[in-house]
Amino acid sequence: MAEALVLKIDGVSKSFARVETNDITNALENINLELHQGEFISLVGTSGCGKSTMLRLIAGLITPTYGQLTVNGKKIEGPSPDRGMVFQQPTLFPWQTVEQNLSFSFRMRNNYGENKDKVERILKVIGLENFRRDYPAQLSGGMAQRVALARTLICSPEILLLDEPLGALDAFTRMNMQDEILSMWRENRQLVVMVTHDVDEAIYMGTKVVVMDAHPGRVKAEIPIELDYPRNRSSSQFVEYRNQILDMLDYGAKE
Amino acid sequence: MNTEERNKEGILVEDAKSAKKLTRDMLAELEQKEKSPARRALDFFISVCPMLAAALAAAEYIYVPNFERFVSSNVNPERYLIFLAVPAAIYLFFWLHALVRYRMGQKKYYWNAVHKAPLYSVLFLALSALDLLTLKSGKLLYPFIPWVNDIINAAIGDWPNLLKSCYYSLELLFKGYFIGVAAGLLTGIACGYSERVNYWINPIVKVLGPIPTATWMPLIMIIVPNLHAGALFIISLGTWFAVTLASRTGIQNVDRSLFDAARILGAKGHQLVFRVAIPSAMPNILQGMTQGMSSACISLMVAEMMGVEAGLGWYMTWAKSWALYNRMFAALVVLVVIFNAVTNALNAVKKHALRWQNGVK
Ligand SMILES: Nc1ncnc2c1ncn2[C@@H]1O[C@H](COP(=O)(O)OP(=O)(O)OP(=O)(O)O)[C@@H](O)[C@H]1O
Ligand SMILES: [Mg+2]
Repeated sequence: MAEALVLKIDGVSKSFARVETNDITNALENINLELHQGEFISLVGTSGCGKSTMLRLIAGLITPTYGQLTVNGKKIEGPSPDRGMVFQQPTLFPWQTVEQNLSFSFRMRNNYGENKDKVERILKVIGLENFRRDYPAQLSGGMAQRVALARTLICSPEILLLDEPLGALDAFTRMNMQDEILSMWRENRQLVVMVTHDVDEAIYMGTKVVVMDAHPGRVKAEIPIELDYPRNRSSSQFVEYRNQILDMLDYGAKE
Repeated sequence: MNTEERNKEGILVEDAKSAKKLTRDMLAELEQKEKSPARRALDFFISVCPMLAAALAAAEYIYVPNFERFVSSNVNPERYLIFLAVPAAIYLFFWLHALVRYRMGQKKYYWNAVHKAPLYSVLFLALSALDLLTLKSGKLLYPFIPWVNDIINAAIGDWPNLLKSCYYSLELLFKGYFIGVAAGLLTGIACGYSERVNYWINPIVKVLGPIPTATWMPLIMIIVPNLHAGALFIISLGTWFAVTLASRTGIQNVDRSLFDAARILGAKGHQLVFRVAIPSAMPNILQGMTQGMSSACISLMVAEMMGVEAGLGWYMTWAKSWALYNRMFAALVVLVVIFNAVTNALNAVKKHALRWQNGVK
C-alpha cells in the first residue's frame, strides 16, 4: 500500500493585483495547515476571505505569492487530475454530451479505451444512464452538478476539492447530495476539502471544520468534529458545534 | 397505478404501454391543439394546393393564346410544361410519402407538407402571373423581361457556357472563401489568445474593417496583372476579415472557468485551444463564416462584373452587352439557385455543429 497522503500548506500567502488602483488584495496571509488522507475538511468563512483562493492554490490553478504547498513532500506545480476540483457552477462543456463530459479527462490523456467501463459505472451511480446523450443545456441544475461531480470523481483523485458544490441546489436535493458525497468519501477515503457557506453542512459532513477570517484571509480555528456518521442535525452536540462556529463567524464580521 | 387498473379491466393495455414510450412525434402532437374535422379537411386541401396550382399554371399556359407579336417566337413550348411538371412531380412524390408515413403514425412529414404547401402554390401562381404579363399579353417590355420559356430556351441553348461559368464562379468563390476562412481562423484565434498578435492585427482590422472589400477592386485591377489572382485576394480578404473578427470575439469571450475545469481534468497546451477554446467559440466562428460567405459572394460578383473574364457575373454583363436578355436572366436564375444552395448548406452545417446550444429543437 502507498503511504498515506499528506497535504502541507506552509506559510502560504496569496496577493492579487487590483485592476483599477495600484494596491494589492491580500487574499490569504500566512496559512499553515496539514491535512491527511481520509480527512473531510469543511472550510467556512465570510465571503471574500479567500476560501476559493485556497482551493485554487491546492488545485494548482494559481501559484502562491509566498510559501509553498506540498503533497507528500512534493511541491504542487500546476493542476493534475489527482487533485480534482468541483466548482460552484457545474462548468460542464456545453458542446459535449453527458457521456463526453464524463470521458473528457480520459480523452485528454488518451486512455479512454481502457476506461470505458468507468464511464458506464459512474453513469449508473449518478442515475443518468438515460441522459448520456443529452447536452448540459437539457439538464436540471442538480443533474448538471452531479455530472460535474462525477466528471471529477471518475479520475479517482487523491484530493477532492469542492467549492460550494451544492450552493445552487434546493434544500432537498442538497441533503441527498450531501449523503451521496459522504458515502462516496467513506468508501474511497480520499482527502476532501469542501468550501461551504452553510455551517450545518460543514458540521454534518466534515471531520474537521476550518474557520477562516477575512482581510487578510487567515485560518482562525480548526475544530475537529467528534461525532459518528451519519450525524444527527438536531443532537445537542451538533447544536453546540454550530453555536461555537457561528460565534466565531459573527466575531469576525464585527471586527 | 393507473396502468394496473386498466390491466385488470383488460382494456387499454396497449395504450398504457405505448404512452410510456413517447416518441418525439407523439410529443409534438400532444402539445398541439386538437384539430376540428373542418380544420383537418382544410389542411388536406392545402396540402394538395401545389399540385392544383401547377395544373392551373399549365392550363393557363396551354389555353390562353399568346400575344400576337410572340405567336411564332415561342419555340419549344413544351419545355415550360416540363419545367412546371418536375417540381410538381417532386412535390407529389413527397406528398404521397407523407401520406404513407402519416398512416404509419409518423405525422411530421405531412405537417411539414401542409406548412410548405401555401408557399409552393403561390410560387406556381406567380410563374403563371409572369407568363400572363409577358408571353400572353406583352405588358412587360420584351426583350428586357422575357417570358419563362424564353429563359429556359436560352439556358438550354447555351448550357455549355453557362455550366463553364458556373464552374469558374464556384471555383473562385470557394478557393477565395476557404483561403479567407483558414487565414481568418488562424489570425482570429491567435488574436483572441495573444495580446501581442492582437496589437498588430487590430489596427488592420480597425482601419480596413468598415470598407467593403469590393472597393479595392479597381486598385487591384491596376496593380495585379493577373485578375483572377486579384479577385481571389479580394474574396479572401473579405472572408478573412469577417472570420477574424468573429473568432477573436469568440475566443476572448470563452468562459475562463471552462479552462480551469479542463486543466483540472488534465488538458494541456494545445488541447486547451482545440478541445476547449475553439469548440466554445464555435457559435461566433460559424457566425463569422456565414458573414464571410455573404461578403465573398458580393466580392465575387463585383470582380466578375468588373474584369474577370469568366464566371456567371461576367456571363451576365456579357449577355447584357449583346442584348441577350434571356441569357442574362438565365444566368441570374442560376446565380440565385447557387447562392441559395451555398447559404443553405452553410446553415445546415451550422445547425448541426451547434445542436448543443438549445438542445433538441
Ligand atoms: N483573480 C483575482 N484577481 C484579483 N483579486 C482576486 C482574484 N481572485 C480572488 N481575488 C480576491 O481575493 C479575495 C478572496 O477571494 P475568494 O474568491 O478566495 O473568496 P471566497 O472566500 O471564495 O469568497 P466567497 O465565499 O464569496 O466565494 C477577494 O477579496 C477577491 O477580491
Ligand atoms: Mg468562493
